[in-house]
Amino acid sequence: MSSMNRLRARAGSALLAALIALAAVAGPPTRVLAADTPNFWFAGTRLILARPVNVNGEVAVAIHDPGFLGFLNRLGATVAWQPGERYVVFTASDHHTVALTIGDSQYRAGASSARAPFAPYTDAQDVYVPFTTVARALYVEPVADGGDVVLQPQLAILDVHQDGPRTIVTLRGATPLHFKKTFESSERVVLAFTGVGSPLAATRQILTASLSIVEIAPGGNARNPTTTVTFGGAALSIHSMYPANAPNEVTIAFAPQSIALAGVTIPSDWPTTAAALPPPNRPPAAGPLATPAAAFTPAPLPGQPGFGAPPVAATEAPTTVTGVDVVPTNDGAIVRVALSGPAYYEWHRLSDGRWYVDFRNVSLASAPTEQQLNLPAVQSVRVRQTVFGPTPVVRLAFTLNGDRTVHVDATDSGATVTVESAIDVNLATSGAGQIGAAVAGGPGGDASRFGAPVPPPPGSNPRLIVIDPGHGGSDTGAMHNGLVEKVLTLDISQRLRTILASRGWIVRMTRERDVDVVAPNDDAKTELQGRCDVANNAGARLFVSVHINSFTMPYLNGTTTYYYKPNDQSLAAAVQRRLIGLLGTKDDGARRENFYVVRHTTMPAVLVETAFLSNPDDAAKLRSPAFLQNVAQGIADGIADYAGSPSNTPPQSSFSGE
Amino acid sequence: MRVGRPIALVALFVIAMTAGWWFFNHRTSSAGDRITVYYTKIDGSTEVPWTVSLGPARDPKSVAFYAATQAIAGPPAGTDAVRFPPGTRVLAVTINGSTVDVDISKEVSGLRGGSFAEAAAFKSLVWTMTALPSISSVTIRVDGARIPTLPGGHFELDEPLARSSW
Repeated sequence: MSSMNRLRARAGSALLAALIALAAVAGPPTRVLAADTPNFWFAGTRLILARPVNVNGEVAVAIHDPGFLGFLNRLGATVAWQPGERYVVFTASDHHTVALTIGDSQYRAGASSARAPFAPYTDAQDVYVPFTTVARALYVEPVADGGDVVLQPQLAILDVHQDGPRTIVTLRGATPLHFKKTFESSERVVLAFTGVGSPLAATRQILTASLSIVEIAPGGNARNPTTTVTFGGAALSIHSMYPANAPNEVTIAFAPQSIALAGVTIPSDWPTTAAALPPPNRPPAAGPLATPAAAFTPAPLPGQPGFGAPPVAATEAPTTVTGVDVVPTNDGAIVRVALSGPAYYEWHRLSDGRWYVDFRNVSLASAPTEQQLNLPAVQSVRVRQTVFGPTPVVRLAFTLNGDRTVHVDATDSGATVTVESAIDVNLATSGAGQIGAAVAGGPGGDASRFGAPVPPPPGSNPRLIVIDPGHGGSDTGAMHNGLVEKVLTLDISQRLRTILASRGWIVRMTRERDVDVVAPNDDAKTELQGRCDVANNAGARLFVSVHINSFTMPYLNGTTTYYYKPNDQSLAAAVQRRLIGLLGTKDDGARRENFYVVRHTTMPAVLVETAFLSNPDDAAKLRSPAFLQNVAQGIADGIADYAGSPSNTPPQSSFSGE
Repeated sequence: MRVGRPIALVALFVIAMTAGWWFFNHRTSSAGDRITVYYTKIDGSTEVPWTVSLGPARDPKSVAFYAATQAIAGPPAGTDAVRFPPGTRVLAVTINGSTVDVDISKEVSGLRGGSFAEAAAFKSLVWTMTALPSISSVTIRVDGARIPTLPGGHFELDEPLARSSW
């Protein structure tokens, strides 16, 4: 019995010992502070890792290791981790992310997942990740060279997409690409890349009308790799290189000869990097091949006999509708009504979604029409004559989906009625105006076009407008293309002051010269609040801040008027519409944003972003004094549309619905 | 015969531990495997969702950290989006009730000078974070500090941001 027990105990402890031994071997990886890690070479120099660790023959590196951070920096990559956090996320220069998890060898690179040789782990200070796994995921291949390991950047991505008749090929690498064209015939283009190897398949069939195959041939040696890329196309195709979004990529477009290609010839000389090219005006995906920037100019009405004709003099004879043109937009509609002569109009919004405008003393020459539009903002539109006899009336009516914003713009020979998807926050229920020769008022004085002027807020100085030239002094604002924001904003503001003063407004500027409003190098909030204080303390009726926009992508362009307080939407819309009418810039809309000066001013306030000085087209416009004058004129006219003139506070509109 | 029982018990224990370890480290797909990340189109206002797979860590803080890194990275190259400046990274994420605090590296100041990019980039971050369960607002820090706006910027950052901020 006792010998049996002893045997049992011995067998049990032997098994336990075996299990422990097994766990010791297979369990936690052996980590050795390594003198035996290989020498890494990258970009011609030795990459010194401060504390590489050998984990079962693989190198673990701390994410805060200076050598490793330098390596990431050369790739344009970043790493994010916070103490206590399990995820370690690398972001490559092409925006794909590599996500590792502490304690788990599974990792995700872009949309795919794979397994690393060991799981990332943490000690008291840092996180250790499998070095070569991360390098590969960032398009760098470790290549053995004698006893050393060369970290070889790869030409790793070949992206092909079709843009209409054009085939767009993007090649992307780990580091900035250096290449030249070494051969060109009617059917072949050969590019030689230096400093990169490639894991891409040797051939890729494309099979579009202008490009049939791409061949990739790596060459050179571990330390001086080359990759030859051959494009085989149809005999009659052409190609052109687009400016790249990043130095690590090159984009080439192929198309049949009949198609226009923008871009530039691929250079045959070293050194070429796609990023050294002049910036594009439009993004490749949106078609830089097409005509330059779609500048919006209010188009005359094609095929409408009434439009384009000289304005008709005021007369007692009834005016007729000579054309109605309904243009559905993305979510709303634009209706252009052509009239043979002057007319008086009034519009009304009813509570059930119907909206109509009556043209008085106007008859309809053609049959009444009705169109079902079934758009998000508008269901249907109708035109009919509602009153016959000596004082006829023609009514244009919409059935809207909710309280959508509707604008009526009088022109010399008719009216343009625009339905927008935005909900009309002011919910104006009526308005009126005059079309044609009888229209009174000088430039911008025609407040009737936008309904009744908005009366000044109680307690304010009804004649005072504060202009805020953006930035100034120690704060230059944006700088691009040789233009400086603070200089342009002051120039426009001074022009605006002159126009407003000539119309009888009292104008105060937050700054008259190139100075900070509060103090040099003060913090942004102090400076912005100082600008608001000027207007708030003076009890201004309106506040206008003038700015010039900017962005890292040079193809963005256009004009935007920002507001914050819901009631200021109509002021922003009025200014924006006048600006777009005068400037020929792209209409980026009147937008609500959480911007300091429009939020912390107590009166109606807008911030005008005139144009993008980072865009070549807009920058060219901003260099023209005539353009700057038009900006001032547009803002002044928008103010007039919104507020009328300082001398009279016009009566409220008092039309009743039918 | 009786020797077998403790051996079997130990073996069972080892199998159970191994299975447990395997389960916790290799959980297969379930409902919360993906998060929705937003980017802002270059019109400066339209938010476009895309989805990203999560790793094994699913606690709210890890998921929030992960979501923030994806929003800052933006969609893959080739997609036109208003992006955070190159080099911008997430430093820390903390959850306080329904508010998540995102600390971003100072490279984000590259957004200044253009109100367009400021508003559009932060919009994508706020939409991404508020797509997470029970998160309704976002506070922003830059290099650990709460700031009213980016230096020379326009967009207000000293109050919690929500989808209704736009």
